[in-house]
Amino acid sequence: MDNDARSLKQTRRWVLIADKVADKVITVGGIGVIVAVLGMLVFLIFEVLPLFHGGTVDFAKSYTLPTSSSRTMALSMDEYLTMGAALRQDGSIALWHAKSGAALQPLMMDLGGKKITAFSSTLDNSGFAVGFEDGSVQFGRLKFSADIIEEADVPEAAEKLNDAQRTDGTAIYTTIPGRRVRKVSAAIELDEPVTVSDAGKPIIALDYHLSTFGERPKRTFVTVDADGVAQVSLAESKLNLMTGASKTTLSKVNLPPIPGNTPITKALVNDAGEEAFFVDANSTVHRFNLRASDNPVLAESVRLTPDGVRLTTLGFLTGQRSLVVGGSDGSVSIYFLLRNDKAPSKDGYQLVKTREFEPQTSPVTAFAATTRGKTFATGDESGNVLVRHGTSQATLLRLTTKPVQDAPPLLMFSPRMDGLIDLTANTLNIWGLNIPHPEVSFKTLFGKVWYEGYSEPGYTWQSTGATDEFEPKMSLVPLIFGTVKATVYSLLFAIPIALLSAIYTSEFLPLKVRSKVKPVMEIMASIPSVVLGFVAALVLSPIVETWIAAILLAFFVGPVTLIVMAFLWQLLPPTLAVKFDGVPKFLFMFVVLIFALYLAYRLGPLFEHIFFAGNFTTWVTGAIGGPAPFLFLMNLPVIGLLVSWLFARYYNYRFRTYILARPMPYSALLDLSRWLGLTIITLILSYISAKLMTWAGLDPRKEFMGSYVQRNTLIVGFAMGFAVIPLIYTLAEDALSSVPEHLRSASLGCGATPWQTAKWIILPTAISGVFSAIMIGMGRAVGETMIVVMSAGNTPLIDWNIFNGLRALSANIAVELPEAPKDGSLYRVLFLTGLVLFSMTFVINTIAELVRIHFRKRATQL
Amino acid sequence: MKVDSRITKKEAYLKPDETQATVTADVPLPEETAEGALAERRLETNAAVPTGRDSSVWDFKARGEPFLWGLGGALVFGLLMIVGFVALIVVNGIATFYPVPIEVVKTSDGTLLAGELIRTETFRPTADTLKTLPAEEVARIEASKGLETRRLYRIGNFDLYNEDFKWIPEYKIAETTEPPNMYFVERMEWGPFIGTIKSADLNGTVIEKSELSDERLKQAHREAVTRRQRIRSIERNEIAKVNTLLEQRRLALRRVELRRGAESPEYKTALDAYNKQAALLEIQYQDLSKEAAVVKDQDARYTITLADINGREKTIKFSDVVRFYPANRLTFLDKVDVYLSRWWEFLTWEPREANTEGGVMPAIFGTFVMTVLMAIAVAPFGVMAALYLREYAKQGRMVSLVRICVNNLAGVPSIVYGVFGLGFFAYMVGGSIDSIFYPERLPTPTFGTGGLLWASLTLALLTVPVVIVATEEALAAVPKSLREGSLGCGASKWQTIKYIVLPRAMPGIMTGLILAMARGAGEVAPLMLVGVVKLAPELPIDSIYPFIHLERSFMHLGFHIYDVGFQSRNAEAAKPMVFVTTLLLITLVFLMNIVSIFIRNRLKKRFFAGHF
Repeated sequence: MDNDARSLKQTRRWVLIADKVADKVITVGGIGVIVAVLGMLVFLIFEVLPLFHGGTVDFAKSYTLPTSSSRTMALSMDEYLTMGAALRQDGSIALWHAKSGAALQPLMMDLGGKKITAFSSTLDNSGFAVGFEDGSVQFGRLKFSADIIEEADVPEAAEKLNDAQRTDGTAIYTTIPGRRVRKVSAAIELDEPVTVSDAGKPIIALDYHLSTFGERPKRTFVTVDADGVAQVSLAESKLNLMTGASKTTLSKVNLPPIPGNTPITKALVNDAGEEAFFVDANSTVHRFNLRASDNPVLAESVRLTPDGVRLTTLGFLTGQRSLVVGGSDGSVSIYFLLRNDKAPSKDGYQLVKTREFEPQTSPVTAFAATTRGKTFATGDESGNVLVRHGTSQATLLRLTTKPVQDAPPLLMFSPRMDGLIDLTANTLNIWGLNIPHPEVSFKTLFGKVWYEGYSEPGYTWQSTGATDEFEPKMSLVPLIFGTVKATVYSLLFAIPIALLSAIYTSEFLPLKVRSKVKPVMEIMASIPSVVLGFVAALVLSPIVETWIAAILLAFFVGPVTLIVMAFLWQLLPPTLAVKFDGVPKFLFMFVVLIFALYLAYRLGPLFEHIFFAGNFTTWVTGAIGGPAPFLFLMNLPVIGLLVSWLFARYYNYRFRTYILARPMPYSALLDLSRWLGLTIITLILSYISAKLMTWAGLDPRKEFMGSYVQRNTLIVGFAMGFAVIPLIYTLAEDALSSVPEHLRSASLGCGATPWQTAKWIILPTAISGVFSAIMIGMGRAVGETMIVVMSAGNTPLIDWNIFNGLRALSANIAVELPEAPKDGSLYRVLFLTGLVLFSMTFVINTIAELVRIHFRKRATQL
Repeated sequence: MKVDSRITKKEAYLKPDETQATVTADVPLPEETAEGALAERRLETNAAVPTGRDSSVWDFKARGEPFLWGLGGALVFGLLMIVGFVALIVVNGIATFYPVPIEVVKTSDGTLLAGELIRTETFRPTADTLKTLPAEEVARIEASKGLETRRLYRIGNFDLYNEDFKWIPEYKIAETTEPPNMYFVERMEWGPFIGTIKSADLNGTVIEKSELSDERLKQAHREAVTRRQRIRSIERNEIAKVNTLLEQRRLALRRVELRRGAESPEYKTALDAYNKQAALLEIQYQDLSKEAAVVKDQDARYTITLADINGREKTIKFSDVVRFYPANRLTFLDKVDVYLSRWWEFLTWEPREANTEGGVMPAIFGTFVMTVLMAIAVAPFGVMAALYLREYAKQGRMVSLVRICVNNLAGVPSIVYGVFGLGFFAYMVGGSIDSIFYPERLPTPTFGTGGLLWASLTLALLTVPVVIVATEEALAAVPKSLREGSLGCGASKWQTIKYIVLPRAMPGIMTGLILAMARGAGEVAPLMLVGVVKLAPELPIDSIYPFIHLERSFMHLGFHIYDVGFQSRNAEAAKPMVFVTTLLLITLVFLMNIVSIFIRNRLKKRFFAGHF
């Protein structure tokens, strides 16, 4: 442009350059900062997304194993997915390279020529038990050992399998980073056989549970022989330190006869050897209670599948609390053994179907569970294999194999759950699995889940447990509830105080005092929340616990004293009232309130004695005292409001015109007596209603109280109120003060009193600004962390009891994230928690901001 | 309008002269006029009384007195809460270090115990306890409505008693005395010892207390302190330095190995160099540890034997005594001396005994360094973003949307920023830095975990909206005429911003920045995730290259409060420490806020002055 051209001549070059540079830098930097801050949201979402991805198959391979005439009983695999093994009925163990199927030298079990008739193994198939035709049982272990060796120690003759792996026929050598080699080899260990069947009949079903590990393994096992005799036995092995030989002692108990006289197809014994399950050919499940070890009881005989549907698979998930049942109709479901006193069983327990899974398309024939978590896989006759998760009930992966007639597939998870193998006839399929977060789904996060060991479905948060068999419970509902509870109670405390103070400050306080009070409140907003949390938890909570009655009383005594003083103040001659208006009156309010608090402190014990049987914390639990006094207190404010509303509705006009005509002290006295009269009516009505409610059987302690803990929501309410009051106060006061002065002047000029002006002019005009202040305060309360961490007790409960603790979303992050392993399920769920928190506050703040903008426009228009 | 019509209807029966009074009451008139008006009205009222009908000055409903009291009461309650809170912190914080006398309590069953009286409170003894008491005690308790007082004594001597504090109910106390020979001995380990000094072994000569003056003891203690400092200096500074050097050499070697491979000639030369240097350092190390052993050996020959009230003796090294004083013989000046020396210890020492004793110097330092780093990070970016939004961006729908977002982000919970900081800065960015620049240290993370840098950046992110909003407001407050004037004089846009707009807006920007720093200094939740630890013996700045260690974790005053108050062995023992730390933190934060308010007020004045 012309202008530019002219200025170019006059302006020094570097000024222009600086201008250009600043232009670019500020634009890029400014946009960059804003994008970076908003990028936070994107990053959080990016971290959370893998939770909902399910699983992927890294690789899938299929090869044929050397044929064998003998049936395969179980599959096994080492930790690093290098070597596979198949235990066969003839006592041989075929070994092969997992990735290629190249056969290695098989191992042979020395069974003394006996024929295997039954087989059982632990979940990871490392330990097993075999039953023989002569009625004896033998325990054994298939051990994969992985040793790190030097490159030089690898035998020269080792054949190359692939880029990183070699074999010498017995072991597989894998080159690992650091120029070392991992040698994986398999070995078999067998204990001495023990004779179980007294009649010497073949064992037809067998299952065992290993209860102690190490030097003295203790196994509880159940057997059924060909005669249908079921036994529970305890085998204890003692290792002789001198000879190294192990000696097994056996004690056995015959179970009561299994009804029905049909052959048993499957035996199962659960965790700690307390329950045994036998399935007969009619698909009836017979459950024996073995808790009294010398006197086992047949607890129940039930069908777990509908009539006409065969029970085809039965197995435990890790932890042995979830019983997975597969039927010939393709159905897959989980049963829990739950205590139920009304159960039709003999021991007060009952098998209850708690979870139902996506059905297979044909009869379920294969089942495998992992030792890591509650993932399991089922396979059916038509070759479909579904990988599922027990807790989330989600289907994680769908795999297919080629079905072979009359050859039921065998499934097995690798120890680290990174692979699944399937053997159908001689075809072996291996899938590399990548299921990072099997236990998390939308349902487990937000829905009701029936967890192991729970009597009913519910929302539970318990992310970590003591053992590997623990089922993580990651429902966000109790945490969201905790946040809402903390917010609601703290706002119940904060909003009245903050708003009323703001109105008083902006409309009634002399300017001089106002300019002092406001900065004080503003500075309060900057108190670090950790300080509030500390004071609340270590100073306030013991005091509140001791003086709880006095504190509750203060909520009644404070307002009542102020109202009484207000009526007394009306008695003052107008000249004095005008003279003392402003600072003296405000100071007098101080005196009155301090007096009221002192009164509450003195009357506290008496109040506790009359209303709460002398001990509030015990009264809350319902152990002592009745609900009537408390109901009376609860009804007071409600009935008080009702009574004064009714009076105002029907008698106010008459009463006002009447007292307007009276001379001064009398009119004030009349007003006071009106209030006293109404108060007495309120008291009487509250008393009657409380009696009626008690008579109707209403006890608030049952519904929303029931316990008192030291770090409770009341404390959180106080502390959080402390954090939120200054914020709401400052913003609300700003909104009220920014109502244009001419409105105020006009109202006063028209003859309205300051109170009328505040009530009918200022507040309605500023209401949106006040509302936005409340919303911002709410946003702060939702996200407040340290106060809830320190003073809320951190118990994830769903319970409105104000005297109980809570665990908020924010506190949960602060407590659990430092311990959560990176990229684990808990880690990502906690990121999700952060995202939820982010969204909650973002919505609240956006509403507040929009309302505020609206208010600003309106205020400038006026 | 609807609202107005309601008013007029409701207040129709208000007499004009009555409302007049109200208005006068509330709108303050100039002094003399108010006086005059009052006098006039007094006359009016007096005159009006006999007629009866006109005498009621105000309509009570319109006056709303009970409501006014309700509003005022709320404000009063709020103020009382604040005053109470501040008083609680200040009183407890200030009183903590003041020495109190040691009381010796003889209980009714004849046992003796000595301790500082911490506080008394009332409690309700159980019926079972009452049964065991003599009749007159029961009668006394009955007389006070079943309530009994009990005293909490700090009895110290944790190594002997396994408890620091003891509640003694009033009925158990036979008599209390304050014997002059009781000493309060603060030790490096096991907390304080309360008892008498029996004897001292000064380099082999055993001197009984009777022949040992306080001056002599103090002299010996001063010498012991010098030895302790020497040992500490050798162990913490010199030996640590040698170790760090050795570690640096080893890492350098590992680096060469990773880059070039273990077979390469570079590695061979590096290995030779390393071995030589390691040998040299080893010699240095040996020398230092020998020196330390000598001083320690000498130090062990100066001991002091203490005895508790029941005569149980405890001999400790003189250098393990931090401070000792005869608690019941102190003059006021002595007490002030002890008080001040405790404050000095608190402000300049490192914490001891799981942070419940000693000082908070590393926490003060950590808080300071982190806040400064945060300010350095937040100031340019916040100002830049605000400048962009206010001066460069085209004002429209988009910019107001961004503005809403920025405002909103100021309200996003701090813990969310912590989560982001951990995931993004520490794990993602830090992890990448580690694998690129520090592969030799893996798997031990260097930047791949929480640390000073990440904590500062996280807090910078947390406070950037505050700075943006404040700066924008300050920029908006600069009158348009000034800008136009500058541009009209031929200044470029940047010149206008640099010489006209920014200087005018500076106080506002400073306010925002100080507020941001105050918020940053007091924030704890995000720091728990990104690098604050309960004990960091190594300061983030020291004399070892590269001097500022941004990757180190650090201590923070706010987290110190949380940690000491909630994670320590004995909450009662930790409470005084927490109170003092709280006082310190609050003072810091309040000071920053007051400064910012002060600046804001000055800005306002200047702004108004510019208008008139």
